[in-house]
Amino acid sequence: MINVQDIRDTARDLLAKGEVRAVIGWRAGSRGMAAEPCVVTKPEEADSLVWDPTCYHNLALQLVNDRKDLVHSKKTATAPIGIVAKGCDARAIVVLLQEHYFKREDVYIIGVSCENSGVLDERKVKAQVGGFAPSAAAFDGDNFSVKTAKGDKKLAGREVMADRCLECRTPFPKENNTAFGDDKTGREFDAQFAALARFEANDEAARWEFWQRQFDRCIRCFACRSVCPMCFCDECVVDSIEMKIAPETTAEEKANRIRWIERSAVRSENATYHMTRALHLAGRCVDCGECERVCPVNIPLRLLNTKMEREAREAFGFDPGASIGGPSLVASFRDDDPGEFIR
Amino acid sequence: MSEQTYEPKIVAFLCKWCSSAGSDLAGVSRIQYPANATPIQVPCSGSVSPMYILSALKKGADGVLVSGCHIGDCHYLEGNYLARRKLHLVKELLQFVGIEENRFRMSWVSAAEGAKFAEVVKEFVDDLRPMGPQEKLKAKRA
Ligand code: SF4
Ligand code: SF4
Ligand code: SF4
Repeated sequence: MINVQDIRDTARDLLAKGEVRAVIGWRAGSRGMAAEPCVVTKPEEADSLVWDPTCYHNLALQLVNDRKDLVHSKKTATAPIGIVAKGCDARAIVVLLQEHYFKREDVYIIGVSCENSGVLDERKVKAQVGGFAPSAAAFDGDNFSVKTAKGDKKLAGREVMADRCLECRTPFPKENNTAFGDDKTGREFDAQFAALARFEANDEAARWEFWQRQFDRCIRCFACRSVCPMCFCDECVVDSIEMKIAPETTAEEKANRIRWIERSAVRSENATYHMTRALHLAGRCVDCGECERVCPVNIPLRLLNTKMEREAREAFGFDPGASIGGPSLVASFRDDDPGEFIR
Repeated sequence: MSEQTYEPKIVAFLCKWCSSAGSDLAGVSRIQYPANATPIQVPCSGSVSPMYILSALKKGADGVLVSGCHIGDCHYLEGNYLARRKLHLVKELLQFVGIEENRFRMSWVSAAEGAKFAEVVKEFVDDLRPMGPQEKLKAKRA
């Protein structure tokens, strides 16, 4: 098990020596048990870092934000930025590196392994502890311990772990500058794509019946997009707001500007949004599950994303987030890519 | 709309180097084929964004066809390889959410294959007609 003090000492040391200009990590949250992302810039702040099963956030997003800040303010970084990264955060960083979003030497990765565990699913936890959210949670070997109003409680890992963690085989951040915890790569609690396979057993009519209901329910708050480290575009294609309006722009030009998707949260627009997003994430989504976790209306987004991931793996032998050097999924091909569907 | 008068609307994205010329050849050769397809010329099948396909369905297309040069014949060498991969994903995703497999089609048609182009369109129309209008992804007010 990881001693959180090791993470803090490493961060303090790096900051004190000036080897990094900041360390992105998690600190205790201000609401309930969940940890929250933070950016530590002074050595003496390093002790605020935490590592527990509520470190849900994919911190690669903070790395993207840092990069955007630098670019938009036209600043150059004085030193690399440090980041505490669990397996899925590191996979996201690998995809960003693969896409040349920043350079390897721009980041210092302090890897933390989820070992035989993962992060909690708060909905599952609440069901286990009678509806009341605990105030704190900790790893307890293969299980978890949580603090509730009625005292401490032990929870079985399999019962309360997030679905993505149950299917995760790469809990260890392979890409790292230094790492803590055991490398449990290849572990398997649930078969990979188990939920996907269950869903695909439905026939076409049942699949549409299911998805039209989901597309109807989405309120297009875009939380799923905002939380995703892979959705880094300054202007998303679904917004279509980039049209420059000049004095000579006619009303007709304004009316006829390209709008791939209308803003109204209705079925057709929501469906187009979600399918576009799934396609733009194909071969890039690392199944950190954050989009699904933050959705206020519980749209099962992992189904769409893991569908694309399985296609990437099975049809094209492509492993998202596995290597920095290779080309991206849709910018490459093999001679024997499937083509029987083409007349 | 009654069964008899229903004619499926197809949006066809045709590569200008091959399938678009193929469709012209079908025309000048006086090959009879259904007039259901609205052709949209694109520079290469590889330039067809998945959003074109989704957008066409959203605007009420009953079927979408993408047609490019045979593998090995791409004017830009590898555009059709990229299209094959990208559009495989689109096809899978459409089926995954429960859109009928036959609403999306892809073909390789060279500039010399006027007859094949006519055949592709005819088959597509024959497959689409019994399915009736595409309502699943169509925008309500478009
Ligand atoms: S998905 Fe894997 S790496 Fe990410 S939190 Fe879960 S177990 Fe850890
Ligand atoms: S899927 Fe959920 S998080 Fe994403 S836009 Fe819709 S309601 Fe918001
Ligand atoms: S799409 Fe969702 S699961 Fe995939 S990387 Fe983005 S936030 Fe994570």
